[in-house]
Amino acid sequence: MSHQLSDDSRETALAAARTMFPHDGLPDEAYAKVVGELEAGAAGDPSVAAGIEQGIAQLDDPQRFVELDDDARLEALRRCEGSPFFDLLKATAVVELYDNPLVWKAFGYEGSSVHLGGYIKRGFDDLDWLPDPPIALDPTAGSHHR
Amino acid sequence: MPRFRFDDDDVVVIVGSGAGGGTLANELCQKGQKVVVLESGRNHTPDDFINDEWRSFKQLAWLDKRTTSGSFRIAEDFPSLPAWTCKTVGGTTVHWAGCCPRLMEHEFKAPTYYGDLDGVNALDWPISLGEVEPYYDRAEAKLGCTGTNGIPQLPASNNYKVFANGAQRVGYKRFHTGRYASSPVPYKDRPATIQDGFNFQGVKNRSKWSTLTVELPEAEATGKLDLRAEAHVIRIEHDEQGLATGVTYVDGDGLEQFQRARLVAVAGNAIETPRLLLNSASSTFPDGLANSSGQVGKNYMRHLTASVYAIFDKPVHMYRGETMAGHIEDEAPNDPSRGFVGGYYMQLLALGVPFMAAFMDPGAWGRDFTSALEGYENMAGMWLVGEDMPQETNRVTLNRDELDEHGQPVPNVHYDDHPNDVAMREHAWAAGEALYEAVGAVRTIRTPPYPATHNLGTTRMSERPEDGVVNGFGQCHDVPNLFVSDASQFTTGAAANPTLTIVALAIRQAEFIAEGLRSSSIPTGRASWDGRDPGGAAPAPEQAAVGTGAA
Repeated sequence: MSHQLSDDSRETALAAARTMFPHDGLPDEAYAKVVGELEAGAAGDPSVAAGIEQGIAQLDDPQRFVELDDDARLEALRRCEGSPFFDLLKATAVVELYDNPLVWKAFGYEGSSVHLGGYIKRGFDDLDWLPDPPIALDPTAGSHHR
Repeated sequence: MPRFRFDDDDVVVIVGSGAGGGTLANELCQKGQKVVVLESGRNHTPDDFINDEWRSFKQLAWLDKRTTSGSFRIAEDFPSLPAWTCKTVGGTTVHWAGCCPRLMEHEFKAPTYYGDLDGVNALDWPISLGEVEPYYDRAEAKLGCTGTNGIPQLPASNNYKVFANGAQRVGYKRFHTGRYASSPVPYKDRPATIQDGFNFQGVKNRSKWSTLTVELPEAEATGKLDLRAEAHVIRIEHDEQGLATGVTYVDGDGLEQFQRARLVAVAGNAIETPRLLLNSASSTFPDGLANSSGQVGKNYMRHLTASVYAIFDKPVHMYRGETMAGHIEDEAPNDPSRGFVGGYYMQLLALGVPFMAAFMDPGAWGRDFTSALEGYENMAGMWLVGEDMPQETNRVTLNRDELDEHGQPVPNVHYDDHPNDVAMREHAWAAGEALYEAVGAVRTIRTPPYPATHNLGTTRMSERPEDGVVNGFGQCHDVPNLFVSDASQFTTGAAANPTLTIVALAIRQAEFIAEGLRSSSIPTGRASWDGRDPGGAAPAPEQAAVGTGAA
């Protein structure tokens, strides 16, 4: 069970998460995960739910957040920086947005590897734009501790 | 596995199963000593480990409540998580990457080499590098450190290629892929690394040394080890002579148990070890057990720690391969002309996207932050690990306003950077940025300290009982059958990752304990078997007597 935000509130929260952590190449689906987590966190705790509703209402006042242009959205978000809702949204988004294989793929991170045999035959050393450096200590370098 | 009786007065009880406790347990079992290891965490196997940063963190990390104070940024960024250590069988050896530098000679003698610094409460160690060297040799053989014992160096990963080329271009001379406890070839019963990139998450293929996969199974094979997981020790008990008689712990069913002991060794890491001594206060020891010096919990160190990440115009894929297999020594010597005493190592480091987002610049938001993450594929990274200064006011205390699930006061960790730490960190950040700029970085990022995995110094070794908590063998000055076996004993922090030194000291301590028990030069508490402390709280006999007999 999760606390259900209204469609409008969900839309505002999603847009606020995107303004906070903007990635133009990511679909709304990635940010919807953040909103889902907010709703899950509000379930069973009316004070959390009320805080979220209040924070969203503040973003939508005097004009709906989603109707603002990018600069105005940033300005609206800055006005509530440091509020409990802002901090909750930030803490939730920085975990939920980036804990997502869809986002990893977009950023070039491959996630779990052991089931594929690690990277020993899959490119752990495939960087070719620099020369191969020495891997052992130069015996003439005079290590101070070995 | 045997189950020794609760009233068995011939067992050594070890609190904690990490680098110190797990190694000490194996070394003592190999010598024929019966050992009970009490570990708070659960008993996972490598098959349980997860190649996923957040899920693994929730599985392995020590997440019991802690509080923080002081001016270090952790108190703001991660107020309930001062340390990234583990609560699982194997302790933080499950999480460590595998870097194995030795301490340098001068690092055992900080005041001698560094002089008097305002606010610094340093001592020379009561032991020298020369005394520890034979045990370093044995520790390297045990851990299977690359570059020692005929084990080849690890190959160059992508992240290392950037790191080492940068090192060459700025003129560094002493760099390599590290003395590292995961090998490119099989070693003893361990397979070669498959370069899976999840060192911090346990290493599922068992190529990394840990007490979970090496020391505890070897100890178990002797028939002398009784390992009890989910056994959280809340108090060390003592007799009217002030000798340890055993420990009270809460088992997995939430029941208090008393385990009699001939000798107790504490290895709960530098936050939990002093907490346990302080929580063991009694009418005989009102300031906490083994605390006549007043130094228990003080001089907490967490190493310099900082990171530099750099973004290039071509792919790096830093997350592929051994996470920390790169090591630069050139900034490690003590060279006060740089504006600080002590030194630091530069070591390879990579995080996955989830933890890069969490740790790169905690609290940051907006396009500057997100554009850095979008450079992840082209990112290289290094960790900066150096000696932080011991300060009496940096300390672990009991927070009596916050109790854990067992009703015990939680530890508060207070830390302020010393000006020497700040100067070293600034130097290290600049040096790391220069290295990456020398190989074409288009952007560099200074990352602040993480929750500490290197926790040090809170029951420090000292020559004189009035200066510290334990002697050069980790034996408490005040309670001769009570030992500390983790990095809490470190008199000063040095720059080196602590695990190799913890293991070397545990091997050395095991010889001392075995001989002391054989010759009876280490006395034993004489309390009745239920170990009631005449001056303090003790478990009721009916609670303590429900145990099984010896197997």
